[in-house]
Amino acid sequence: MIRIAARWLVSSVALLFAVTALTFVLASLAPGSAVRAVLGADTSVTPQQYAQVKHQLGLDEPLPVQYWHWLYHLLHGSLGNDLFSGQSIAGALGTRIGASLSLIIATVVVSGVVGVAFGTVSAVRGGATARMLDALAVFGFALPSFWLALILIELLAVRVRLFPTTGYVALGSGPGPWLRTIALPVLTLSAGTTAAIARQTRDSMLQVFGRDFVTALRSRGLPLRVIVWKHALRNAAIPVVTTLGVVFIGLLGGTVLVEQVFAVPGLGEAAVTATTNHDLPMIEGIAFYFAVLVVIVNLLVDISYSALNPKVRAAP
Amino acid sequence: LAEQRAALPERAKWVMSMRKIKHVVRTSTAAVGAGMVLVAMTACGGTPSSGARPAASSTTGGTLTVAGELGPTTLNPETTNQALCDFEELAYEPLIVRLENGGLAPGLATSWHYAGRGNTSFVLNLRSGVRFSDGTTMTAQDVVNDFEYVVKAGGQMAPFFAGDSFAVTGPLRVTITAKTPNPEFPFLLTQDYNAGDIISPDGLKDTAALGTKTFGAGPYELDAAETVSGSTYTYTPNPYYYDKPAVHWTKVVIKVMGSAQAILDALKTGEVNLAQGDASTLKAAEQAGLTVTQAPLIWEGVDLADRAGKTVKALASVQVRQALNYATDRTVIVNALFAGVGTPTEQVTVPGGYGYLASLNSVYPYDPAKAKQLLAAAGYPHGFTMSMVTADYDEENLLAQALAQEWAQVGVTVHIIDDANPSAYEQAFASGTVPSFIATYGQQPIPVEGPGLFLPSAIFNPYHTASAALQSLYDQDITATGAAATALDQKVESYLVDNAWFVPVVASGLPWYATTDITGTAVTASAPLVELYQVEPASS
Repeated sequence: MIRIAARWLVSSVALLFAVTALTFVLASLAPGSAVRAVLGADTSVTPQQYAQVKHQLGLDEPLPVQYWHWLYHLLHGSLGNDLFSGQSIAGALGTRIGASLSLIIATVVVSGVVGVAFGTVSAVRGGATARMLDALAVFGFALPSFWLALILIELLAVRVRLFPTTGYVALGSGPGPWLRTIALPVLTLSAGTTAAIARQTRDSMLQVFGRDFVTALRSRGLPLRVIVWKHALRNAAIPVVTTLGVVFIGLLGGTVLVEQVFAVPGLGEAAVTATTNHDLPMIEGIAFYFAVLVVIVNLLVDISYSALNPKVRAAP
Repeated sequence: LAEQRAALPERAKWVMSMRKIKHVVRTSTAAVGAGMVLVAMTACGGTPSSGARPAASSTTGGTLTVAGELGPTTLNPETTNQALCDFEELAYEPLIVRLENGGLAPGLATSWHYAGRGNTSFVLNLRSGVRFSDGTTMTAQDVVNDFEYVVKAGGQMAPFFAGDSFAVTGPLRVTITAKTPNPEFPFLLTQDYNAGDIISPDGLKDTAALGTKTFGAGPYELDAAETVSGSTYTYTPNPYYYDKPAVHWTKVVIKVMGSAQAILDALKTGEVNLAQGDASTLKAAEQAGLTVTQAPLIWEGVDLADRAGKTVKALASVQVRQALNYATDRTVIVNALFAGVGTPTEQVTVPGGYGYLASLNSVYPYDPAKAKQLLAAAGYPHGFTMSMVTADYDEENLLAQALAQEWAQVGVTVHIIDDANPSAYEQAFASGTVPSFIATYGQQPIPVEGPGLFLPSAIFNPYHTASAALQSLYDQDITATGAAATALDQKVESYLVDNAWFVPVVASGLPWYATTDITGTAVTASAPLVELYQVEPASS
């Protein structure tokens, strides 16, 4: 167990280092500059003023030095400050991560529950039911999220005023308003992810159904419900859990568009704004948050493997 | 002098056109900076020129929710983009208030005047008992400190005050001594320019906090706990505001939404009360029963920047530039992209605007054959190729695509550089390396427009094209008054049209959408932009 934890720790640190370094390089290669973004298009700016702002922002130093400074501050608990507002990055992102996590976790839960249910029913029943569920899954994959978002807004927010068209209310303000504001974004995000989980569940279940122990259980006369719930699902769960982890990580990027459409103040929306403004500290902070979430999700997936399959725990 | 004073309300029109119009505003500010020394006009002396601020009703509503597509990068009034000044304007009271009719009224200053001759010494008498939102009382020294910070902050207003000195000359009196004559101080200290938005001592002590908190003496203050930077900004009444009846809402929320459609949907359901719209949503807004108002404000078209032919030789030929104007079917484009908000135009102003001449809108009727003929005469019978940079808001990118298709019919190939990033767009067109770009510009008096649009130093003239004839007209115009000034305005406009420096396509307003439960959203030609603090509940 200690060896597993050490391996996880080393790989996590390496991942965080790689992601932040790569982000630093890529962001610096993007056209335009933060200095110009700060100064605007005012052509009366003198080269001295330009150089002064560049120095103030610390952008006159070599890239490795800039990255080292960022790392140094990170190790001292600071992600730096927003280039424009001066707000601390941690503070700015702290107000946003709740919104993003609300959407992502709710989407994973919804797509996990519905996807596993659909996939299981499809595997057990087969025939027309399976084909119909397959068709639904393909449809879910094919739906462009921005289109689905607009349709949902028109139907469920503008015509039937069940939900607000845009915005986000934090969970701290009450579960009711929170659920109302995340409902449409989560429905939008869940269409594709539910399909992915359903397909994975069905395939895994069919594989399990083909194994000898299921045949043995059937021959002993166990009801199908018991075989499915007590035995098959548990054995089929590992690939499904892996897919859920992938879905979670995919949603980190996938929420960007949905947050824009629904005006949800999340990390994705902040990423777009920061990239537009060449706000390197903010971009780096968001990349760091995303990388940390990836590390945490991978850990949770690994732990769930151990819980679902004792053989994994016993492995060296 | 009387004639010049009478002209003030007219001159104030451009003040409105300089605000909130994205990059247009930003560049216009630079224009004023260059032009103000040349404009031989004396600003209002002694007392406010247009009477006091109108009495506000005491009606107070609940929450006013406003939406916009762009959010500010900072709330610091001295470094923010003035195009997004709504976000800080609610919290900072200006020294002088620009009224809806363009006149000036007391704000934190009760009166002002130039001392002596030469417009170099400007005296402000301050309102007594003014308190900032943190409860501290405003002093003359605070105002001086604020002016010094304006220069130090290096924002858009810094060039207007650089080199000036500021002094406390009485218990509630401040004097600005300008390095060079500056007749524009009264206008520069209104809400339209932010420099008159006085920051409290605490704010000036911790300037880093100005980006995310407010430290003003305005009707509202930012509720930081209910604010998410870049997304939702919440304001609550400033308990120390000196004019309490002017506070109409218990809360004002400004939401940043990513698309015009999202804003329209939120207006339809009442989640948002007020927002700036665009051509793409205008009809839907009217059909939804929203109150739609707009007034002529901007022209949009192509700036044929490389008039010297440095990058694209063909553009040095006036025949080629005229050919592009003839090859443009403005009516079709306007009907397709700006239906309801715009009218075709061939001049760089709007109907009724400065220098406007109706006859100038029939100089270049759509005539592809004539365009081909001119191209051939200029030595380009098979056309030529050039690039054009565009942003992708206000239909600019769609306009570029439409023009590229039309010009292709006369042999001109346009490579469109579509910069979704506004900052990259501004950098590209101002760089002097892209021969043409889509321009959106607010109408302005010619003396102000010159340094921003067409003089060699203008940002909208990135290749620094100089014309002795145009310069001469401009030089005469800035010293002229009355009918002579109007005639010279029109001569300048005629020069720009005849020499085809631009391909203007549409003159339009910025539509505002409001729900029916609010008032104070009407706009006029002299005040085409809605001021948030003038919006009231409809029941009043």
